[in-house]
Amino acid sequence: MNWYNIVFYLFALIVLVSAAGVVFSRKMMYAAFSLLFTFFGVAGLYVLLNADFIAVTQIMVYIGGILILIIFGVMLTSKFTDLEIKSGTTGTVQYVLAGISTIIVAAALIIMYLNVDWVQNPVPELESTVKPIGILLMTKYFLAFQVAAILLLLAFIGAAKIARRK
Amino acid sequence: MSGTFNILGVGILTWITFLPILGMIAILAIPSGKDEISRARSLNYFRYITLGITFIQLILTLVVYSGFNFSMPGINDASSMQFIERVTWISVTGLPMLGDLKIEYFLGIDGISMPMLLLTAIVSTLAVFASWGIKKAAKGYFAMYLLLVTGMMGVFVALDFFLFYVFWELMLLPMYFLIGIWGGPRKEYAAIKFFLYTLFGSVFMLLVMIALYFAVGSFNMFDMMDPSKFDQNSILAGFGTSWRYIAFAALFVGFAIKVPIVPFHTWLPDAHVEAPTAISVILAGVLLKMGTYGMIRIAWPMFPDAVQYFNWWIGLIGMVSIVYGALCALAQFSVGKRDLKKMIAYSSVSHMGYVMLGLAALNTEGVIGAIFQMFNHGTITAMLFMIVGVIYDRAHTRSLDDFGGMANKMPVYTAIMTIAFFAAIGLPGLSGFVSEALVFLGAFKTYPVLTVISGLGIILGAGYMLWALQKVFFGKLPERWSGPWDPTGKIYKNDDINYIELGGLVPLAIVVIYLGINPNPVIGMMTSSVNHFVELIRIGGNFAGM
Amino acid sequence: MYNAVVNELIGSLGLIKPELALLVTFVVVIIADLIFKNNKVNLGLSILGTIVSGIFLIGMSGTNTSAFANLIAVDPFSEFFKYLILISTLIVLVMSEFSEELHNRDVWMGEYYMLVLGMALGMFLLAGATNLIMIYLALETMSMSSYILSGYTKEIKRSSEASLKYVIFGSLSSGIMIYGMSILFGMTGSLDLYAIQSYLAANGFFQPAIFISGLMVIAGFAYKISAVPFHFWTPDVYEGSPITITAYLSVASKAAGFAVLVRFIKLTFFDAAGSSDESWIMMNSIPWDMVLAVLAVATMTLGNIVALWQSNVKRMLAYSSIAHAGYLLMGIVVMTNTGLMSILVYFFFYLLMNFGAFIVVMLFAHKIGSEEMDDYEGIGYQAPVLASLLTLFLVSLTGLPPTAGFIGKLVLFGAVLDSGWYWLAVIGVLNSVVSLYYYAKVVRNMWLRKVDNGKGTLKFSIQSQALVMVLGIPTLVFGLFFGPIMRWAEHSVRIFLGN
Repeated sequence: MNWYNIVFYLFALIVLVSAAGVVFSRKMMYAAFSLLFTFFGVAGLYVLLNADFIAVTQIMVYIGGILILIIFGVMLTSKFTDLEIKSGTTGTVQYVLAGISTIIVAAALIIMYLNVDWVQNPVPELESTVKPIGILLMTKYFLAFQVAAILLLLAFIGAAKIARRK
Repeated sequence: MSGTFNILGVGILTWITFLPILGMIAILAIPSGKDEISRARSLNYFRYITLGITFIQLILTLVVYSGFNFSMPGINDASSMQFIERVTWISVTGLPMLGDLKIEYFLGIDGISMPMLLLTAIVSTLAVFASWGIKKAAKGYFAMYLLLVTGMMGVFVALDFFLFYVFWELMLLPMYFLIGIWGGPRKEYAAIKFFLYTLFGSVFMLLVMIALYFAVGSFNMFDMMDPSKFDQNSILAGFGTSWRYIAFAALFVGFAIKVPIVPFHTWLPDAHVEAPTAISVILAGVLLKMGTYGMIRIAWPMFPDAVQYFNWWIGLIGMVSIVYGALCALAQFSVGKRDLKKMIAYSSVSHMGYVMLGLAALNTEGVIGAIFQMFNHGTITAMLFMIVGVIYDRAHTRSLDDFGGMANKMPVYTAIMTIAFFAAIGLPGLSGFVSEALVFLGAFKTYPVLTVISGLGIILGAGYMLWALQKVFFGKLPERWSGPWDPTGKIYKNDDINYIELGGLVPLAIVVIYLGINPNPVIGMMTSSVNHFVELIRIGGNFAGM
Repeated sequence: MYNAVVNELIGSLGLIKPELALLVTFVVVIIADLIFKNNKVNLGLSILGTIVSGIFLIGMSGTNTSAFANLIAVDPFSEFFKYLILISTLIVLVMSEFSEELHNRDVWMGEYYMLVLGMALGMFLLAGATNLIMIYLALETMSMSSYILSGYTKEIKRSSEASLKYVIFGSLSSGIMIYGMSILFGMTGSLDLYAIQSYLAANGFFQPAIFISGLMVIAGFAYKISAVPFHFWTPDVYEGSPITITAYLSVASKAAGFAVLVRFIKLTFFDAAGSSDESWIMMNSIPWDMVLAVLAVATMTLGNIVALWQSNVKRMLAYSSIAHAGYLLMGIVVMTNTGLMSILVYFFFYLLMNFGAFIVVMLFAHKIGSEEMDDYEGIGYQAPVLASLLTLFLVSLTGLPPTAGFIGKLVLFGAVLDSGWYWLAVIGVLNSVVSLYYYAKVVRNMWLRKVDNGKGTLKFSIQSQALVMVLGIPTLVFGLFFGPIMRWAEHSVRIFLGN
């Protein structure tokens, strides 16, 4: 086991544990902070994959932007800070059914992951991916890039509409 | 091809079929009126337009009859159909797989459709008299009535399966409204039951129609009857295959629901009991015939092999319908509300059983009997329902318990009713006798046992009809009817039947009596067609009895 | 160095003129809204833009190629759906003008037009998308707009509830879809549908993996066309949304979903070279037709049976639209071009009759203040013209002649029978018998109850009646003369299959 693998499993562990924290914690604040570690762990995994641009984006956008907004939102609406999150009526039947279907889905996915002959590209020389991504976005994925912009504009308009009093 | 009649450049069959639509548009264009007086005036417009249109239709039908060539067989032979009108309706070429989609506006008649055309024209004209009393939403009533007439006429003249299907379904909606709006207390139930039952049958017909289209590449009925036109890769190609049997059975069910045949008959008593008088008349007089007409026009010639395969069962179904229908009619004397109208409805089931039995005979006598029985049942049952309507309008009850001794109170009515009931029993000298005799004659040759058991239907029929006659007319007049029907004298001046009602009944009575003495005018026009039909089914189906 | 690529991009711009027209209109409406602050101006501009887009679309007819390095295809198939979307958008814009629900509440309408245009743009791109990224982005563009539109009257509780429900279920299904896409990408190393297809064709694969990933992607589309079991959102959203948006979702959004579903399945899982019009050759041994058949049967049966119990007309129409999605799925099951043609024909007629029904329901709701069936009693005698037209639309939805709906069913069942799916056809026709019952319930309440109640007539504006007529007359005429639509659909079944 080399250093690479050790670091990988470390980040993977961070992601899993903190993700479980998001799901299982009963306080909104704790969940939000757990999410921070999930994002961080994922960013670490990106780095290990040589995806430097995405890793930085992950930290800047998700941690620096979205998560801070969430935490601000929670703190500003102070009533909810220590609100216990409760799910509705869940009985044994629901637990059992959910458990069984989760196990089936998980088993199917695991079997699939083990059996598929995944496409593996040779690991390129360690260099910045920013330039190739930029070129792709302005050439091959030009239309997709523009549509993403329109999508964000629509989301923006929608947010304004929802926030408006009338 | 017999000479085609054109009026203003449009064929006479088109006129007959679509004239009611013109009438409907006229009615819809006339406002119902705001106050009492204008309402009454509009109501009269509606009545007279409807009567006028149906009357013109009757005249045109008689014109067609006068030009009808008795010797041309028709059936599966397009060249010997008469009054043909044929134009391309829809044509889409070069579709993938479907090839060229071509639907024709193809009308024509032969010896099978001519009697039905006459019957429809007569019944729909006379039923207008029975509609005279409709006051509630009269505009809608007469508009729907005319639309219904178009649908019925169209079914009897269409020679393209697609066109046939469109007309077949076209009359569902007006019928739904006519029962549902102007019907009795359980009208909503009866209307939707009728609608669902019929649609259930016709969707199977639709599937078979599509399958046949893929087999022969057109909707033309004559192509579908011609084995050489079938694509050899089609599932319906060949002879005596199980797919053909299934297709035939699906078609049969579609038509049988309309007839109706036991066990698909349960919509009929409900529909009849709840429908207003005129609609009962149309329903029994014409609509039920569409089922058996469909069998003769479509199911039988297209699947002669399947007819042979199922023939005994068809005879059996006929027998069961005859006996079961009669028993149900008889049961009206012991159970339930003892409803006179329900009794007649069940007698319809029984009488339509004769048609099935006659068809199963597959010989000239039997089939002529069957078609003649369709005609006679149409006229006789129309009378019966009108008669029930007359007494219901006055007494507001149809229960057999409430009547008795009417003979003195309403002598003319009694006379008419006696004719109708005797005709329904099949008394010699009246038209019902001729057709039933022919059916038995024919069926006995083919299936003696079934025929003998069916004879029970005649006896039972005499039983319930006479019993009903006795209940209503003889014995003691109940105390409650001793006074005049209408003390104010506004609606009914006399106690007896009035002229408008007679206007509907008397022509039918004349037809019934005349055809009882001289059935040739009707039988004559179908003879050569029926001969050809029997030959076609026997040879086509390689009938075992030959 | 990148000259060739840039030139190709510039060339591609000429192929998306209709989309560009919509985009420009979208931007112009945003600016106009700021300057004029006038709903009439917004409406006028939106309608103008839609029409201009339509003119561009007509000018491009017959184009069969790919644009933006295979991101989207511009072919007759997408063109047909673009027409459907444009017609729907026009109707929705005009319909919104009559909607009191939207106007009487003092709600600012500026964003409404922007979102409708944005949604139309998303659907346009979805109809042609041939790249997983593009599919996802287009789908989200469409969804994002529809989430907000469905909650546009957010002061009404059920409207905001509908919106929230839509968002939650929508994100879940998008999540599933993108997960499936990532597996597909992992297996084939490409996002391009043509490349995925040729990679799958060239290499042996672990079949369950293809099955699972394909199913996950299809789940995302099934959500948009509200196929069972991804239909949970439909009744609540349809009932809660402003009725204009309900109609839009039930026709246009569904059309775009079908377009992308067909394209995805056809391009990814079928042998492009070997397939003829008559039958598409399936790669791999996964029975996609059977999967879709099960989906179709479940969808139409559940939609119809649950619709039987509904007492709210809008909700009933929601379930009926689920059932219609089931019928339409049958057209894909058969995997032939005839099946495809039948979908197109059916969709065109479905647009007419469904919009017609929704508009009449909306107009009635303005006068009687309710969408409950019980409140429709006797309305036929108060508003004979509109009630007759609603009857026509419902009869057409049932599929009875002589209406357009019958022709749709005829062609659809024809395609199903022709490819030997007899049991499917039988289930289909039985379902249409069931559907009669709940459509007839509305007809019954309108005409059979409280006959001639003397309540006096309800007055409707000439314009609103004219709008319904514009949909009603073709519903009848195309039922009798459907040749042109068949021909048009037949020309439009060509999907661009790669270079």
